[in-house]
Parts: sequence; C-alpha cells; structure tokens
Amino acid sequence: MSNITLKIVVAENSVIIRNGITATLKRLPDLRIQPIEVHSIESLKECVRMDNINIVIVNPAFGGYFDVAKFKTETLATSKVVALVSFFVDKITLSKYDDTISIYDDQETLYGKINSLQNLPKKKNEEDDEMLSGREKEIVICVVKGMTNKEIADNLFISVHTVITHRRNIAKKLQIHSPAGLTIYAIVNNLIEISEVKKNLV
Amino acid sequence: MDKQLKYKETDKMSDLICENYTLLQVMSRFGLSLGFGDKTVKEFCLLNQVDYRTFLAVVNFIDEGYLRMDETFKELSVASIMNYLKQAHSYFLDFNFPSIRLKLMEAIGYSEDNVTSLIMKFYDDYVDEVRKHMEYEDKIVFKYVEALLKGELPTNYSISVYAKKHTQIETKLTELKNIIIKYYPAKSNNNLLNAALFDIFSCEQDLESHSRVEDYLFVPEVLKLVKKLSNSDE
Repeated sequence: MSNITLKIVVAENSVIIRNGITATLKRLPDLRIQPIEVHSIESLKECVRMDNINIVIVNPAFGGYFDVAKFKTETLATSKVVALVSFFVDKITLSKYDDTISIYDDQETLYGKINSLQNLPKKKNEEDDEMLSGREKEIVICVVKGMTNKEIADNLFISVHTVITHRRNIAKKLQIHSPAGLTIYAIVNNLIEISEVKKNLV
Repeated sequence: MDKQLKYKETDKMSDLICENYTLLQVMSRFGLSLGFGDKTVKEFCLLNQVDYRTFLAVVNFIDEGYLRMDETFKELSVASIMNYLKQAHSYFLDFNFPSIRLKLMEAIGYSEDNVTSLIMKFYDDYVDEVRKHMEYEDKIVFKYVEALLKGELPTNYSISVYAKKHTQIETKLTELKNIIIKYYPAKSNNNLLNAALFDIFSCEQDLESHSRVEDYLFVPEVLKLVKKLSNSDE
C-alpha cells in the first residue's frame, strides 16, 4: 500500500457511472485513492482551486462541452486531466487530454493508466527490504542522539548528501519520519539505550 | 434536494441512528441529545432549534462516505455548520484525546523511566499539534466567518488558504500507529492495547470526516457568502 494519497476528482453527470468509477478507484490495489465526486463545472473548478488534486477524470461532454485548455488556464491546475469516454468522441477532442479512460476498461488497465499518469514506480518486490541495513541503523542512532546531518556526515565519513539519501530511505522503509518516532523505534528495537537519549529530551 | 438523498426530513430520528451509529456523533455535535421518541428528523430539529437542512446535509454527506462536493446540498446555514465544527473541536480536545490518552497509558504500562514515556510524549506532541490547528480555526477562521455573517468583509484573511492545511497533521498519527502496530513488542494479553488502537483508528476516521465537512461543505458555503458580500459592495 502506498503511503501517498491520490486525490482524484470525478466529473460526470451520470450518477451510476460516477459512483461506479469511485467504487472502482477505491478497489485498486497498492494505491490509496481519495475520490471526490462533482457534478457541476463550478464545483469542479472550486475543488481544483482549493485542494491539490492529482487527477481530474472528466466526461468530455461535461457541462455541454468540456474545454480542457480553458479549464487549465482558468484554474492554473497542475492536475492531469483524463477523458472519461462512454460514447464515441472524436480523436481531436481526445488529443487535448492527458489520457483516456473508457467505461469498459478493466481494473488492470485503469490501474496502469493511473500509475503512468502519476509516474509511480512499478510494482516493487522489495518487501523484505523493510529491514534497515547496518549503515542505516548507524544513522538512526545518530539522529536519535540529536546530531545534525552535518555532524552525522563528519562522524561517519560520508557526505551530507548521502546522509540525506539514507534518511529518506529510512523514512520510506519504516514509515516513520520524525526524530521522536525514530527514537521510539530505536529503543524498542534495542539500537540504543534509553539512558542515552534521555539527556537530549526536554 | 430531499428526493436525491438517503436520509430525509420525514425519517424517524431513531431509525437514522439505528442504521448508522456513527451519526450519533453528528447528532450530539448539533446539540441534539437522545430521547427523541418517535419524532422525525424535522420535528426533533425544530424542537431543538437546529437547522434541519444543514443537519441532513452533514448526515448524508458522512453516510455516503464524504466524497461529494457539489450543490446537492443547498441552502445550508453557515452558522449551523460552524457551530457543528466548533462542537466537534471541543469533543476532540476535551473528551476524545484525553480519553485515548488514559487508555493508551494503561495499555502500554506507563512508567517514567522507559520507552513508554517517549510514546506518551509522542502522543502529547501530536495532540498539541491538532490543538494548535483547531485553535487557529476557532480564532482566525471562525472569527472571519462570524464577521461575514454580520455583513462585514474583512480583508486580512482568505478562506481559500484553509483547506490545504489539513494533510500534514495526519502523518503524525500514522507514525504513532506504525510504532504500535509494527514495532511495539507484543505482550501475552493485548486486549488493552487493541482497545486503545481501536480508539485511535476511529478517532482518525472521525478527524478525517471532520476535515472533509470543513473542506467540502463549509468552505464552499463561505465562498458563496464572500461572493454575495463583494457583489453587494460594488
């Protein structure tokens, strides 16, 4: 399961199709999707202005005729705009969209399209990699002791840049980002004694 | 709006709660208490001077899985939603967080000189962050909206900056769950810890639905109000 939430707006007038898309999106593997249903052009614009939306899935006939270029300039949206096709739509119209989803697409196709739109990494088989490497453990200990990236770098004879990369990987593996969270992790896993951290606290 | 939505003003209040017990929270945040006999939603709301349209909008929004943002929910009372949000804040800060804290302390066998003290500190830091955010809303956002309701149009704040602030707080809670679920050493009997976790999960969900009511129901209504006021200024 990814730890990023994708916000996807579904702009479609048919309630059956709209709810169907939302339900399908929620069932996709690996992704955590937060769908938002809108059924007027005003709500769509408001929604995109207000929130960081990743993808807009829109019926090309939404609000009569959906003008992709106008929508993008008006809202300054960085979201990808995808056409939701349930009937024949000419190629020129579709070429203005970032991608096309047909109501007959199966889950796998939909999954693939969303993944490529978001440039998400392909399915990874590194489940076992949740364990920290020896180096990473050393870095956790330094972080927990309250050292700065520069101090850690000097201490372990590596560059600050490398320290940052390690820290990013640690956060990804453990899904713990804050020093306070790492401290608890380190103690529970016997990487460090509580007496060694106590003095850095309060 | 009534024909499109699941719960209607003519439904019995008791049916509504029996069908979806999480609506109990909504009810009490609107200032409605139990003991409604056979009264309908409209009757009971009128009796308690609650705007029944707004109540139903929130109820349906939450029951549907809070994923809709559109004008199905029309004619909401901004004052009513704001009141609901304020009550929710006080529920979280004054009741829910302290009660989870007690459960968590008992479950991990709190002691000052081991890791449990750090876990509690982590929890307290998280609650502090939520408190700061909610106080900001109470002091800045709601004050601003109150001015709007009086027909003033303050220029020192804009409601559009509001919604983006919500996501950051969630990550801290996710960390806390990870620490407990993945990394906390198991004991022979986990009932207490499970109960605490269960509360944390449902609190998380409650917070999520709370911020969605803010973003998808409250903010659009406030924007409408701003538009109305700026038009009448011209």
